[in-house]
Amino acid sequence: MFEPMTDIVPSFFAWLNQGPLTLTIFLHTVIILPMFWIYKQEKNRLENEK
Amino acid sequence: MANNHLTSESKQLATWYFSFAAIIFGAQLLFGLVAAIQYVMPGFLFEIIDFSIARILHINSLVVWMVFAMFGSVYWLLPDETGIETVGIKIGKLLYWVFVAAIVIVVLVYLFIQVGPADETTIWFITEGREYIEAPRWADIGIVIVALGFVANLFLTGMKGKQTGIVTVLMADMIAFAGLYLAGMFFTDNITVDQYWWWWVIHLWVEATWEVFVGAIAAYGLIKMIGARRQVVEMWLWIEVAMLFGSGILGMGHHYFWIGTPEYWWEIGALFSALEPLPLVAMFIHVLYDWGKQQGEQNALGEKVSVINNKPAFTWFVLQAFGNFLGAGVWGFFHTLPQVNLYTHGTQFTSAHGHLAFFGAYATILIGMMYMAIQGTNGIKVMKHTKASIWAVSLITIGVMGMTVALTIAGYVQVLVSRAQMGATWAGYFDGQSGMWFAQAMDWRLLMGAVTFAGFLFLIKDFLSTGKDAAHQR
Amino acid sequence: MANKSVWSDNRFWQRTAAWVTGFAAVLLIWLTFDTSAQISMGTDADLKDGVTKRVPGPTVINYKITYEMSTKRGHEVPVIGEKEKFFGRDDWSEEEAAELLHLGKLGSQAKNCMDCHTLLGNGAYYAPDLTKAWLDPAWGPEGSLQAMTGKNTKEEAMAEFLQHPSQYPTHERMMPNLGITEKEAIGLVAFLKHMSSIDTNGFPRNFGKMQGAVHGK
Repeated sequence: MFEPMTDIVPSFFAWLNQGPLTLTIFLHTVIILPMFWIYKQEKNRLENEK
Repeated sequence: MANNHLTSESKQLATWYFSFAAIIFGAQLLFGLVAAIQYVMPGFLFEIIDFSIARILHINSLVVWMVFAMFGSVYWLLPDETGIETVGIKIGKLLYWVFVAAIVIVVLVYLFIQVGPADETTIWFITEGREYIEAPRWADIGIVIVALGFVANLFLTGMKGKQTGIVTVLMADMIAFAGLYLAGMFFTDNITVDQYWWWWVIHLWVEATWEVFVGAIAAYGLIKMIGARRQVVEMWLWIEVAMLFGSGILGMGHHYFWIGTPEYWWEIGALFSALEPLPLVAMFIHVLYDWGKQQGEQNALGEKVSVINNKPAFTWFVLQAFGNFLGAGVWGFFHTLPQVNLYTHGTQFTSAHGHLAFFGAYATILIGMMYMAIQGTNGIKVMKHTKASIWAVSLITIGVMGMTVALTIAGYVQVLVSRAQMGATWAGYFDGQSGMWFAQAMDWRLLMGAVTFAGFLFLIKDFLSTGKDAAHQR
Repeated sequence: MANKSVWSDNRFWQRTAAWVTGFAAVLLIWLTFDTSAQISMGTDADLKDGVTKRVPGPTVINYKITYEMSTKRGHEVPVIGEKEKFFGRDDWSEEEAAELLHLGKLGSQAKNCMDCHTLLGNGAYYAPDLTKAWLDPAWGPEGSLQAMTGKNTKEEAMAEFLQHPSQYPTHERMMPNLGITEKEAIGLVAFLKHMSSIDTNGFPRNFGKMQGAVHGK
């Protein structure tokens, strides 16, 4: 399933770069996921304020 | 603009910054015209003011007038936002003169010395020869000192006075803006490393910190001009900051496709930068939404008057929302994917995008801020359009759009002939340049450049005369 | 007061903005470390051992450079071949070559090359791209540019052109005389040769491969 590196030098990012969009979708995901946590916290705060 | 409606020294200093910015704006257009003429008549000023010199002056004065107008905008809005006089205003004024003197010397050296021998003295005293940041190293150091002084003024004022959301964003943004300049100050023999860091300055300025800056200015302008609710405007501002930095910081990857950097930048650059237009769309919606909302509330009260208290400034602000989206967003997305950029990189496409984006995203809103300063300086309650202000905004917009379309067409020819068919060699390059479509596009570009310059003359006329115009409500 | 939504809450967006900005900046710094390691300049030993570097060492001027299709990577890459004479020598030491490259890189900035030409595709669009200028067939043995200068090697032809550009017009649009000395010209040619050996991920595509395709010529 995993491709060897297409890049000439192996590195963590080159390894994530498995094909179209794998690397960039991974990075987008790790940026967006914690926002759910921030959302939940803020929701609790707003509910407690009432 | 010697007038006494200004009680704040910070606003006084802002008008100095705006005045010098307007002069340098003129210089930018003038040297742009010289370069445009050289495309049509290559012998023009050959070995007197060569294309390279005209272009250095064209793009450096672009950066300088915008930085001046940005500093001016901050000094203008600080007393309003924080509720106090700017801290350290005396130093601010001193730094203004240091900055102006440095710019004048750098320009004179560019014009009359131009190039130097291949050693470090040239880098220190004549030119660093790196596009946009050619300023020699002594001037770099001066710019850093001036910028740090400015940031210090901003921080001290923000911490002492009321710290609104707008001020908070500006504080974070301006420290990044000043700090990033340091990335462009060293010399290396490795051109890949050189360009890697060079983009830290150019990209992270233009596509991140400057964009956030205009977001903050737009927020301020909407509150001032149409009385938009601060709470709503600042919410939008935070959304824009999240989207602009979220896409813009890693969007830098689109400059790392072909300079010797690893292939993984293709993906990072492609998708992050593809998202860069989103905040610009959001800003566009936000400006028009607020306007409609405020006007609707006014109408509901049965008052048929416009909510806008500064027509010319508001026109430029709306133009910014539109121009930022079109110039930075659409024209940028055009060639941001690597499979397209492989052929468009380093062609007139880039220059088409550059013209519309710098104008749409920055020139417009900064001109708008200048109008707000004229309104404040002359104690005008409701500022109307004059004939000259309408001519100025129309001619400049038509001119820049015309140049953009012409350069886009020139870019097509270059991509198809020089790149796709001829494989980018010396001969291929000139085959593309000699094509009829390319040559005609360059004629149109010159013509539209002249239209823009005519618009600029109207703008200056309006700047000098509108303050005293009896048409405004005082 | 009605139920307040998180989506219209300033604090939520402020925290989101802070998180996104901070994390993107951290990622960029991490990526910068990763990239910096890959784009540092190679050494003479790397060249002798056949170690592929994205940016080879300065002594690459002692070798023949070609630009060939790599089926694995799907685009052209610079290939460093056997020894080749550069200004009559193929034994430039690491120090000598580094000195030449230093002079050339300084020269490229001191003469504002980037404000007419593009280097690695960045710069102005008034003159040809110089990324792979060293590999341009026009400077080669059969090439028109080499013939124009009356020199017998690529490097001498380029150096001659750089010193007296307006004597050799190739188009109505000419390169101005920038006061480039003989020594600086040699440095600049070394800089150009070195730049052509940088792995630019296949930019420019098909360089020098296609000729005479325009206007049915």
